[in-house]
Amino acid sequence: MGSYIGRRILTGTLTIILAIIFSFLLIHLAPGNPVSILSGRDNPSPEMEAALIAKYGLDQSVFVQLGSYLKNIVQGDLGQSISNNRPVVEMIAERIGPTLLLSLTTAILSLLIGTALGIYCARSAGSKLDSALNGISYLFDAMPGFWLGMMLILLFASGLKLLPTAGMVDLRADYTGFAHYLDVLKHLILPGLTLTLISTPYFFRIARSSVIQVMSEDFVNTLRATGMKESRIFNKYVFKNAILPTVTVFGITLAYIFTGVAIIEIVFSWPGMGSFMLKAISSRDYPLLMGIYLILSVSVAVNMIIVDLLYAFIDPRIRYK
Amino acid sequence: MEKVQNMQNVKNVQNTGNARSSRSPFKRMLHHIRSIYQLKIGVTILAALVIVAIFAPLIATHDPYLLGDELTAPPSGAHLLGTDGLGRDIFSMIVYGARTSLLIGVIAALISGVIGTLLGGIAGFYRGRIDKVLTEVNNIFLIMPTFFLILLVIALFGSSMFNVMLIIGLTSWVGNARLMRAQAMSLRERTFVLSSTAIGESRSKILFKHIIPNGIFPIIANTTMNISGAILTEAGLSFLGLGDPNVVSWGQIVFNGRSYLTSGWWISTFSGLTIVITVLAFYLVGDGLNRVLSPKLRANY
Repeated sequence: MGSYIGRRILTGTLTIILAIIFSFLLIHLAPGNPVSILSGRDNPSPEMEAALIAKYGLDQSVFVQLGSYLKNIVQGDLGQSISNNRPVVEMIAERIGPTLLLSLTTAILSLLIGTALGIYCARSAGSKLDSALNGISYLFDAMPGFWLGMMLILLFASGLKLLPTAGMVDLRADYTGFAHYLDVLKHLILPGLTLTLISTPYFFRIARSSVIQVMSEDFVNTLRATGMKESRIFNKYVFKNAILPTVTVFGITLAYIFTGVAIIEIVFSWPGMGSFMLKAISSRDYPLLMGIYLILSVSVAVNMIIVDLLYAFIDPRIRYK
Repeated sequence: MEKVQNMQNVKNVQNTGNARSSRSPFKRMLHHIRSIYQLKIGVTILAALVIVAIFAPLIATHDPYLLGDELTAPPSGAHLLGTDGLGRDIFSMIVYGARTSLLIGVIAALISGVIGTLLGGIAGFYRGRIDKVLTEVNNIFLIMPTFFLILLVIALFGSSMFNVMLIIGLTSWVGNARLMRAQAMSLRERTFVLSSTAIGESRSKILFKHIIPNGIFPIIANTTMNISGAILTEAGLSFLGLGDPNVVSWGQIVFNGRSYLTSGWWISTFSGLTIVITVLAFYLVGDGLNRVLSPKLRANY
C-alpha cells in the first residue's frame, strides 16, 4: 500500500510542478517580454518594471528566475491582477465558492446518476432501454455544454418562463436565511442540469462497461453453476468489483468537470471563476489566467490523491500489495 | 490467448471473436450488421460534410463575411437559416465554418495520433526506465486541466488556426499513447517479433516495421473519436472569444448568438446543432471502426 500511495502522491506533485513550469515557460516564450506579460501592459512604467524585475529576478539566469517564480507561488503570491489591480489569490478566493458549489453538485449528481444507470443498463445489456440510453449518452456527449445551456435557457427561461437564467441570487429581492438558500437553489437548477447532462454520459459508460466486464469473468460463471441467484451474485460479488473503476475515474474527472463548469458559468452568468476568466481573457489579464490555471491544477492533483487514498482504503487488493 | 488473438490480423480475429460468443448466430449477425449500419450512417454524414467544406463557395447562398442590411432576420427564403446581429447569412457561415472545424479537428487529431503512437509504442516496446517515465508523463497529462492550459497558450500566443490545431494536438495524445502501449506490450512477446529479434533486426526497425503497423488499429478508431474532441475544444475556445478572428467557425457563431438568444434564437441553435451532428458522426465512425477492427468488443457485446 505504501508504494502505491507514494506513487500517486508523486504523480500529483509532479502534476503541480509541471503546471508551474508550463506557466513559467509561457511567460518567457510568449511573444513580448516577460515584464509586459506579467504587468499586462506594452509599456509598463519604469517603477513597475523595476519592481517586477526585482520580484521575479528577471535580470538573472533562467534557473534563478524559475526559483523565484516558484518561491512566490509557494508563498501564495500568484501575482497582481491587471484589470483590478489586486492580488490574484484574493480575487480567486472570492470567486471559488460559487465554482465549487456548481462543480460539486455536478460531480456528485452525475456520478450517482451515471453509475446507477450504467449498472442498470449493464445488467440488461442489449435491451431496448440499454440501447436507448447508450444512444442518449452519445448525444449529450456530442453537445457543446454552452450550447446545451443556451437551449435550456431558451426552453425553460425564455419560453416557459419558469426558472432564472442568470446569476446565483435574485439581486432585486434581498433574501436572507432560508429564503436565500432557496433562491440559490433555484438559480442552481439550470446550470446544474446542463452540467449534469453533459457529465453523466462519462460515468454511465464507465460503470456500464465495468459491470459488463466483471459479469463476463469466470468466477461469475462458477457462482452461477453453484445455483446462486443472479441478484445475489450481483449484490455480493459483482457490484464491489465493478464499482471500483468508477472511484478511480472520479479522481481524474475533476479537470473535465472544471472545464465544463468554467464555460457553463459564462452562459448563466454564474459569479464564479469561469465568468471571471472571460473578463481576464478580454482584458489580457495574464497573471489572473495563470493563477486560475495553477489553482485548478493544484485542486485536481489534490483531489486525485484524496480519491486514490480512498481507493486504497476500499480495495484490499491495493491495501495489502 | 485472448490477447494473442486480439493482435492477429483482422480477418482471423473476426472469426475467433465470433466463435467465442455464446449468442445465437442470428443475433451475432444482426449485431454485426448494426455496427456496419452505424458506420454507414456516420460515413455518409461525414462525406456530406467534406463535400460541403470543399464546395463551400458553390453551396453557400451568400458571402459569409458580408454584412447585410437585414439584421437578425428570421429564417426565410432569402436567408435559409436567418441572419445574425450583423446581417450575415447564417447558412453560408455554417457552410464555410465546416472548413474551419473539419480542418482543425482532423489536423489536431492527426498530431495527437502521431505523438500517441510514438510515445506509446516506445514505452510499450522498450519497457524499462523509459516506459516508467513515459507512463508517468501520461498519468500527469491525464489529470491535468489541459483545457485551461490550451486557453492560456492561445491567449498568450494568439488565436490563429495554426496555434489552435497545434496546441490541441499536443495536449490530447494521452488516450492514443495508452492504447498503443498496451498493443506494443502484447506484440513484443509474439513469435514473429521474437524471430525478427533473432535474425538481428534492429529495435527501432522492429518498432516501426512490426509493432506500430500491427498495433495501429485501435489508434485509428480512437483518432476518429479525437477529431470530435478537437472540434468541441475549438468550439469551447471560440465561445471564450479565443477562436481565429479571420475565419468563421461554428463555435464563434454560437458565441455571437449568445447576445441574441431571445431575439434571434436561430443564430446559436443551428450552428450548435451542426456541431452536435458532426461530433456524433465522428463518434459513429470511430465506434463503428472500433467494433469492426477490435474483435474483443464485438464478442463481449
